[in-house]
Parts: sequence; C-alpha cells; structure tokens
Amino acid sequence: MIAPITGHRWLFRLIFVGLCALILFFQVLPLHTAPPRVPGPDLMLCLAFAFVQRRPDFVPLFLLTVVFLMADFVLMRPPGLWTALVLLASEFLRNRHIGTGEVPFPAEWLLTAAAISAVYTLYVLVLGLSGAVSPAKGMLVMQAVFSILCYPVVVAIVHLGLKLRRPSPGDTEAVGRLR
Amino acid sequence: MARDRHNQIDYVRPVRRILIGVVVLFLVGLFVLWRIDSPRVERFRAALVDRVVPSFSWALLPVDGIAGMIEDFQSYTNIYAQNQELRRELRQMKAWKEAALQLEQENAKLLDLNKVRLDPQLTYVTGVVLADSGSPFRQSVLLNVGARDGIVDGWATTDGLGLVGRISGVGQNSARVILLTDSNSRIPVTLQPSGQHAILAGDNSPAPVIEFLENPDLVRPGDRVISSGDGGVFPAGLLVGQVALGTDRRIRVRLSGDFERLEFLRVLRSHHSEVITDPGSLIAPLVSGPPMPEGMSATGEATQ
Repeated sequence: MIAPITGHRWLFRLIFVGLCALILFFQVLPLHTAPPRVPGPDLMLCLAFAFVQRRPDFVPLFLLTVVFLMADFVLMRPPGLWTALVLLASEFLRNRHIGTGEVPFPAEWLLTAAAISAVYTLYVLVLGLSGAVSPAKGMLVMQAVFSILCYPVVVAIVHLGLKLRRPSPGDTEAVGRLR
Repeated sequence: MARDRHNQIDYVRPVRRILIGVVVLFLVGLFVLWRIDSPRVERFRAALVDRVVPSFSWALLPVDGIAGMIEDFQSYTNIYAQNQELRRELRQMKAWKEAALQLEQENAKLLDLNKVRLDPQLTYVTGVVLADSGSPFRQSVLLNVGARDGIVDGWATTDGLGLVGRISGVGQNSARVILLTDSNSRIPVTLQPSGQHAILAGDNSPAPVIEFLENPDLVRPGDRVISSGDGGVFPAGLLVGQVALGTDRRIRVRLSGDFERLEFLRVLRSHHSEVITDPGSLIAPLVSGPPMPEGMSATGEATQ
C-alpha cells in the first residue's frame, strides 16, 4: 500500500530535479553572449513555488537546498544567500497551505507575488549590507516583475502537464504525509 | 484518525523548525565565508563547475549548433544584400591589403635598420565556448580548456577580432572568462591618437565605459582603444574597440569583438616580462690597490 505512493513521490521529485536541470541547461547555453537589456523571469523560482503550494511533499527541504545551491554555483551568484531566501519563502508558503484544501488561484498568486518580492528585496538588502557588488537593481526589479507575471504560466504547465493538484481533504494517503 | 494527525504535527513541527534553522544557518554561513574568503570559495566553485558543466558538453554543443543553424537560416533571407555588401567590402579590403603589405615591408626594413628588439610573439590556446553565465547580471563564458592545457588566471582572451575578456577561475578541464561587459571587469587601456591612459569599466551594458580619463576633450568618437599593459596584467597593444559617445553622454567603447555570439576564443599566453624593481644603484669603480683589512686577514689565513 505504501510502496506505490512512495514510488510516485520519488518519481515527482525526480521530475522536479529534471525540470530544474533543464531550465539551468537552457539558461547556460551560450546563444547570446551580449548583455541583455531585459532579463528573463526566474523560472526555477516559479517552479519551486508552484510545487510547494501544490504538493509540498514532492519538494522536501533538502531537495530544494541541493537544487538551488547548485544553481547558485553554476549561475555565478553569491553562494548560499539566494538559496537561504528561497528556502525561507518556500517554508512560509508551505505553512500557509497546510490543511486549507483548495485555495482560489488569485489568492495563491497574490501570496506568491509577495513571497517573490520579499525574496528579491532581501537579496538586494543583504548584498548591499554585506558590501558585495550587487547587480543592477533596476534589472532585479524587472526580473522580479517578470517572475510574478510568469507564475500563472508555470502553474498552468504544472497543473495541466504534470496533473499536479493539491490533494483534497478526503485524500488521506496524500494528506497524511503532506510535508 | 484526526487526533493521530494532530499528534504527528505537534511532534513534527518543532523538529522541522530546527532543521530549517540549521540549513539556513549553514547557507548564510556559506555566504559569509564567501564574503570573507572569496578566492577559496571561488576555487571551489570553479572545481564544481568544472565537474558539472563539461559533462553536459555532449548536449550543450549540438543544441547550440542547431540554434545557430536556425539563426543562420533566418539570416538566409537577406543573403543577397549581404553578398553584395561583402563584395564591396572585399574590393576595399584588397586595396588595403596591398597598402598593408607595402607598409609591413617598409616597417620591417626600418626596424632592421634601427636594430629594434620586438616583444616576443604571443602564442595562444583556442577553446570552444561551452556555456555562458546563465544569469542576466553576470557576463562570463566557460571555455573547454583549463589547467590541463596550461591556462592561468589573468590571461587575456580574444575572439580573433578584438579583446573579449580575461580568464578568471580555472578548473581542470574548463576556464571561465570574465567578459569586458561584466560589471566586475576593469581593464587598463590606451586611446590611440591621443595616447591617453584610462580604465575600461564594464557595467553590464553592451558598451563599457571609459573611466579615469585625464582630458576628455582630446578624445573623439571613432578613436581606437587598445589594451595598455599597465600593471603588467595584460599584454599591450590588443585591439579593444572604438570610442563612441553613449546616449547618457558618457564616453563608451564599441567593442571590436563579436559579443553577440562567441564561439571560439583564443587565450593568449602572456609571459612574465622582466620587471625592474630597484631604482638603480650607484655604480662604483672596482676596488683595486690595497685590499681591506678583513680581506687581508682572511687571505692570510687561507695561505697558511
């Protein structure tokens, strides 16, 4: 009885890691090496938040840590800071949704927007306080806005493509191990 | 059933909080370590990237190639106009080539007459661009040559047309090139006709800014910018680009290198040139005649 659910869970964890690796892979492709005028959205962030708010048991703490720390190192970000902020934000979103069954999407979007803005604000603040060279703030703001705008698209893909739904309260097998 | 769940939550939650605290503390500690001892962490980063990214080169290079083909196919449509333009340019180039050959011969003759000693020829290692930084805030590329090929931090990199950046971070099989457009890049340059020295500072825009210019009035748009070799970091005389006035009225450089699409880069081996450290000492005549008293006793003992 336990075995198929556990297998299912591990399958989705693998899918999450695979999707993140794919995003990283396409970001790193040297297609345009000139500096862009407009940064793209941070898709990994959107994906992580979409997963956390649907099936938190598919993105456990250590998985998030490893994936985002890897991204920190590969994308030349200051290692650890971005990961720590994303972890805290995902924990906040995770705790918000425990036992609340179905949440209307606009509410979820608003909450996620707040989380994304908080992550970006704290990132700039901590980088500034620690005296590290902070990337252009205008571009960071643009990226945050694009990430918020892209969130519904990512959710749609996750919802329709992966059939990732929040478990209904009757779905005891899933609810029992929500976190 | 319901009570059971509540019990579980009450038990799990504090443990989970501690766990999150520990992980976040570890991550913040990593960040602080990076701030304190950046070179060590960056070395670790280079080693990690060296393990991860080249192992994807089997996928990176074909996908990159296909994307390049698609882009080339898009430009297929205006190939006729391009062809005409190339022909026109070729005609001009032929005339220039003739002039250059004559000048080269003349120059060689003059140098020979004057017995001028030239800098040793620069040799280079060519690498393929594996990956870029992946982030819109950092401008760097990863090459598939590394410590195995004798690459050393700080060497200059060109794409055959102009200076592109410098090596910063070397792994066993890969090396990272910080491009001139990166906001951390600072390169000493000379502006050609006026001969002024300045610093070329990247600011994450396609055209880096010229800073610390002594007399901006002497500079005109179109002036050549070459590397100056100040500080002994870079070989001198590498073409960087041309001066252009930015839309924000600052003096910027239009780079000669083709930064839109970097594929193959040359890493120039720079050899340490001899550095003159002392200001020069007094040249005294050789002591001849009566030897020093100590020298005398020493030689006396030696003879006995």
